[in-house]
Amino acid sequence: MRVANMVPDMQYAMQQSQQALSTALQQVSTSLRVNQLSDDPSASAIMVTSLAESANVDQYTKNISSLQSKMQTADASLNSVVTSLNSAITLGTSGATGTVNSENKAAIATQVQSILSAVVGQANTEYQGVYVFGGSESTTPPFVQASTTYTSAQGSSTVPLAMTTPLTPNSTTTISDASTGETMSFHAAAGDTIANLETAINTAVTAGTLSPGTSATIDASGNLSINSSGGVVVTTNATTLGVMTASLSTMVANAYAYVGNSTVDSVQIGESTSVKTNLPGNQVFTSGANVIGSLNGLISALQSGSSTQIGGATTAITTALNYVSEQRVPLDSTISQLSSQESYLGQETITLTSQQTALVGINIAEAATNLSQAELTNSAVLAAAAKVLPQTLLDYLK
Amino acid sequence: MSLGTSLSIGVQALNAESGALQATNNNIANSNTPGYSRQTVLLDEGTPTDNGGISEGSGVVLEGFQSVRDELIQNQIQSETQAQSSANAQTASLQQIQPTFTTSTQDIGTQMSALFTSLSSLSADPTNSTNRQAVLTAGQNLATAFNATSSVLTTQQLSLNAKVTQDVSKINSLTQEIAALSPQLAELKSSGQDGGTLQDQQNQLVLQLSALTNVSVTRTEGADTLTTGNGTPLVVGSESQGLQTTTAANGMVQVLDSNGANVTSALSGGDLGGTVEMRDQTIPSLLNHLDTLANQFGTAFNAVQSSGTDGYGNAGSQFFSIPAVTAGSAAAISVSMTDPTEIAASTDGSTGGNGNMASFSALQTVALPSGQSPTSTYANLVDQVGSLTANASAESGATTASLLQLNDQFSSVSGVSIDQESTNLITYQTAYEAAARVVTTIQALFQVTLAMGTASAE
Repeated sequence: MRVANMVPDMQYAMQQSQQALSTALQQVSTSLRVNQLSDDPSASAIMVTSLAESANVDQYTKNISSLQSKMQTADASLNSVVTSLNSAITLGTSGATGTVNSENKAAIATQVQSILSAVVGQANTEYQGVYVFGGSESTTPPFVQASTTYTSAQGSSTVPLAMTTPLTPNSTTTISDASTGETMSFHAAAGDTIANLETAINTAVTAGTLSPGTSATIDASGNLSINSSGGVVVTTNATTLGVMTASLSTMVANAYAYVGNSTVDSVQIGESTSVKTNLPGNQVFTSGANVIGSLNGLISALQSGSSTQIGGATTAITTALNYVSEQRVPLDSTISQLSSQESYLGQETITLTSQQTALVGINIAEAATNLSQAELTNSAVLAAAAKVLPQTLLDYLK
Repeated sequence: MSLGTSLSIGVQALNAESGALQATNNNIANSNTPGYSRQTVLLDEGTPTDNGGISEGSGVVLEGFQSVRDELIQNQIQSETQAQSSANAQTASLQQIQPTFTTSTQDIGTQMSALFTSLSSLSADPTNSTNRQAVLTAGQNLATAFNATSSVLTTQQLSLNAKVTQDVSKINSLTQEIAALSPQLAELKSSGQDGGTLQDQQNQLVLQLSALTNVSVTRTEGADTLTTGNGTPLVVGSESQGLQTTTAANGMVQVLDSNGANVTSALSGGDLGGTVEMRDQTIPSLLNHLDTLANQFGTAFNAVQSSGTDGYGNAGSQFFSIPAVTAGSAAAISVSMTDPTEIAASTDGSTGGNGNMASFSALQTVALPSGQSPTSTYANLVDQVGSLTANASAESGATTASLLQLNDQFSSVSGVSIDQESTNLITYQTAYEAAARVVTTIQALFQVTLAMGTASAE
């Protein structure tokens, strides 16, 4: 083929080799093979999901770190409760012996009362502002000393509340019973009155949710009064009632009602792994073998019961102790699961990082070799251009 | 043969070599002129004369000059030029778009991931107000990422829209120039002459036109006709049938032929074809995917929000504000919630409840109505933008290489070789010198002849 002009070909070759040099230089300086989507669209797309997975793994790891502290706090509390219950058993056993006189029994009862306070303190354990045994109602102490009478604030002698007084629609009134360990909630529909609440209370008494005798009346000061001999804790957000407060001097010694809820939260700690992150207090302390109730029973037996009754109450505490120990098993299992999942996520981070490097990264040795080759090629092209382009016949014509 | 005849042959030779030198001179002068086709001198033997039964040569005749060109290569170059310009237009536009989709702290994928990690964090500690605020902020960042990406696409679309007007203006300017050349070219051709420089100029203008749109040339003796790929006439003989523009209701410039018919969708190739394809097909398709993702993700997020209970114990209110229709969703999506307590983390309204958080987390993996999860949908969009850019860039590279080959072929046929012209220069110079020597010799012979009668007298 007739060659008239080599300049365009040389320019193209130089442009190509310089482009290759620029790419190689960029790969060396960034350690990345893919610097823009078009370098490898498929790898870039996979990177989107891979980076999202990495971000999730990082967050799961943070979640685990936060949950480990919370769960360990809960476990430490239950451990203290176990220790306290063991002390109570020891005290109960000594109190049940026939040789102990009533004064000593009263002294032992006082010690058991301290234990009960300590156990309630543990049941109200807080971790970073969260009550760990409150269910999902975790911003208020879950165990509150019960009172025999709770009264509303909105009524007065001049404008008394009545059974026909309507409750604020969609408001909820909750009565937590210390004796039964259960809670009754009344959600007011539009048109509901205090009489409807009273009916609900009577129904709950029949069902055993509330202690026998629990009642709702309008007192002399024109306020709603919730009464229970065993002690209750009442809350409401009905503005027509106002805040329900325990009446003075009606607190029941050693009786605590659970005002948390039974909700068990779950938190995702892996792509398809979740753990239960709380142990509702009613499950641990008031249902099953009732921890608080059994301690209360021992105190009563020590104060006024026979050796046999003290012995029975002590046995109840032993049962409660075993129950708490059982409750710790899933908790410990979760702590262990968190730990192993943390290790797995650590490995997963490494795997994902390797995957990302393989997708868009470049081996530094390979990049350096590429750069070296590109430099060599570019030098060769430039040298060829410098040698060939200036040569014409005119150089040889005299 | 008489001395007079010989002198005449010598003069013809001087003329012929002078013409050849002129062609060489013109070739050297235009060796770097774009589109120039080298010329060769057309020399012919003079008609022999009969001198008493002896046939005698009558010298050389300068017939004219001929440009050396290959129409087929010329057409291929035009065709490849329009493909290259179209690919270049798309590459340039896509290269401005793709950084928006590249993984960074601002892109949709990263912000979407950040929203899910913030939700996961809230799930682990629902009572923490900082965690709630973080979800709100992450949601706002995601909405901003959608807005920004949509804005990049629409800004690019508007920029391309302005380019359509500029391209049409350039096309009209070129067609006028081509039409203006037409009468002279037709005259030359009708007289049987080579188009020469005028043909080169026309070819160069058509090449420039090819860089703007797909153009087809029909050559006839009388007049050349130029049409776009779909047959819209641009030049008929000496008449330029310019394109017109009008702005549609959506603000997009439409291209009309000289009769006012809308030919926008029929345009292909060249900068205008590539620009219109990007503006009317590629970008709207990307915008549609983006809008669909924004709309469906926002709707799904709001649905989860409304199925839960917020920190006040109320049913979850709307988190994202999204238009009722898909179109424009990416540009308009925003976070309507201002109070982080309104995030419906729980299902029971309790302060520490996280019963609804699993549904929020599931959004990351559950398929949207479009068929894939939000992350996969976005990943597909990334793949699409990357592939479009890579393909346009590869097409641009391939046509550049192809054009290089075609230009080499063009140069092989029509290009000026300085070395060749240098040798021609020597050849013609030598021939001219020899012809001059012949004239000088004959002149001397005339002197000798004239002196024949006077030599003995001296």
